[in-house]
Amino acid sequence: MKKVVNIPLGSQHISLLEPIRFQFTTENEKIIEVGADVGFVHRGIEKACSETFEWKKVGYVVARVCGLCAITHSLSYTLAVERLLGYEANERIKYLRMLMVELDRIHSHMLCLAHVSENAGFEAMFMQIMADRELVMDIQEAISGNRVQFDYIAIGGVNRDVTPELVNMIHKNLDELRPKIDDLMERFSNNWSLSLKYKGVGVLTLDEAYIYNALGPLARASGLKTDVRAESSDFPYEDVGYEMIFESSGDIYARNMVRLREIINSITMCENIIDNLPTGEIIEKVKGKPEGEVVVRVEAPRGELFYLVKGSRKNFLDRVRIKTPTFSAIPAMMEVFKGSEYADAPAILASFDPCMSCTAK
Amino acid sequence: MPIRKVEIRLEDMLDELTTFYDAKVWHFLTVNGIDLGDGKIELQWIFSKYGVKDETVLFSAVTAYETKVPSVVSLIPSATLSEREIVDMFGVEIEGAAKGLYLDEDSLTMPLRCSL
Amino acid sequence: MIKAMMQAFTNLFKPVHTVKYPFEEDVVLPKDYRGLIEYSEDDCIFCDKCEKACPPKSIVFYQHPDGSKEYKYNAWLCIYCGECVRACPKPGEALWQSEKKPLSATKEQDVNNEWFVWQRAAAESRENHAAMKKAAKEKKRQEKES
Ligand code: SF4
Ligand code: SF4
Repeated sequence: MKKVVNIPLGSQHISLLEPIRFQFTTENEKIIEVGADVGFVHRGIEKACSETFEWKKVGYVVARVCGLCAITHSLSYTLAVERLLGYEANERIKYLRMLMVELDRIHSHMLCLAHVSENAGFEAMFMQIMADRELVMDIQEAISGNRVQFDYIAIGGVNRDVTPELVNMIHKNLDELRPKIDDLMERFSNNWSLSLKYKGVGVLTLDEAYIYNALGPLARASGLKTDVRAESSDFPYEDVGYEMIFESSGDIYARNMVRLREIINSITMCENIIDNLPTGEIIEKVKGKPEGEVVVRVEAPRGELFYLVKGSRKNFLDRVRIKTPTFSAIPAMMEVFKGSEYADAPAILASFDPCMSCTAK
Repeated sequence: MPIRKVEIRLEDMLDELTTFYDAKVWHFLTVNGIDLGDGKIELQWIFSKYGVKDETVLFSAVTAYETKVPSVVSLIPSATLSEREIVDMFGVEIEGAAKGLYLDEDSLTMPLRCSL
Repeated sequence: MIKAMMQAFTNLFKPVHTVKYPFEEDVVLPKDYRGLIEYSEDDCIFCDKCEKACPPKSIVFYQHPDGSKEYKYNAWLCIYCGECVRACPKPGEALWQSEKKPLSATKEQDVNNEWFVWQRAAAESRENHAAMKKAAKEKKRQEKES
């Protein structure tokens, strides 16, 4: 007998970190319909950016959209404003900014992997990954002076320089991290609860990825070759050894693998950046007031982050439009849920690495 | 990133986008609204190209707040959330996009309209 | 599988990574940690640049009628960004960022309300002062004319 049951997941649920509510309509155990409510943590940041804070201060406001990818938010805003002011940063600034973004990607991906293993019932692994993640957090803290809110990027440059001791520390910690990630890679591909259980679960096919405009690791796991790092010329990513990483199966396993391999790639990039840091000023004076309209895209850990900034030579901007990665990934997520088992839902959700405070901003 | 801005009329928007949009070539970014004052709003549909450096296209249409805006969801299924966000923030009416993504369903505020 | 179990088991005997924070204060902060903002009234030239640069407005000056100003800093509103120090014409002398960690406020301290009161008072004092100045100017002009 067919029976249709409605099951809500969230807004508070043990597998969720942040409030989001999914409304699943299930038939026996299969999910056939999904509804999502994402606006629980709306803080009105777009409005604050154009009415409460002057343009020079907005960089600190948007950094608070998200705690994990604070650096990409302030970076995209800063890039947008710099372009409106007609300023281009020198190589050293670009490299330092790139370094922070890549470190951010490493620790964000590690957090996601930790949650994936936690939702597989693998508590010990969660603890271990979170402990190893401290290696990267320490580097970021030492570079920027704060653990979560880096406030590192300023209009016209970056706020602090890296010292020789820091370079040593970065090398030391990254060297320590690399074998651990290799080890994790083996765990994630050989361990039964992390690999076999996850193969073929939560599949997003390539066609669906195109139709629902998937992005970031979610798209790359389905074989959609999109990455803002390769699609914009803001940063010299090719020079530091960037390579696009993609899989083709589109399931949870593939997403884990994409993330793990991206961590390895990011470690390589960080080492290259640190070894080949160009010389130059770390901060330059930028004059004028923003005028015009500009679009900036930056690859955040979860995918593409988009900023549209419009100003008209006033102290307050006309519009700051923020489109965060998870916000655009939600339609694709809902598609993935359709047709899978309800029991898999928490695991699938964790593998998307959703960030609700980004989404509701 | 240089943006190619295409100005269109709102009535032609759906036709224009239908001829333009190919899911395998263009990545849909978002729908955006900008308050222009005097009861006018500029609506924007923004796309970027896969695999090509720095190519962003922005379709822009200026309209009054009272006009009913056609929805692009039939063409681009992932536009639902962005459209609902615009409905919430500006109080415009978009076909099939319900209010209540961030605000209450019956809320009367329109946070991003300058006059309010 | 067995390897993972082995590792989970050995992890049991490894030292803990966390600290019991308020009771056990051995958190190692890196050099140049961005901590509380400190101020020296003797060196300050009262240019108000720090006040204007601060994003959350956690530095506010109170204007006394005799022309002097009183500095007040809200350590719990501050985001430790360092903008004020960069804006200050005498960084390191009048205003600098220490490596001290901010302490958590208790309920008894009532930091929020106290701060709101202060903010309002400061804004009022500014207005009064400006009005006073204007009146004085006006008086002078009238005296000149008569
Ligand atoms: S550090 Fe930042 S938030 Fe704190 S007082 Fe200075 S400018 Fe204000
Ligand atoms: S910027 Fe420096 S000198 Fe000026 S008021 Fe502030 S502390 Fe004093």
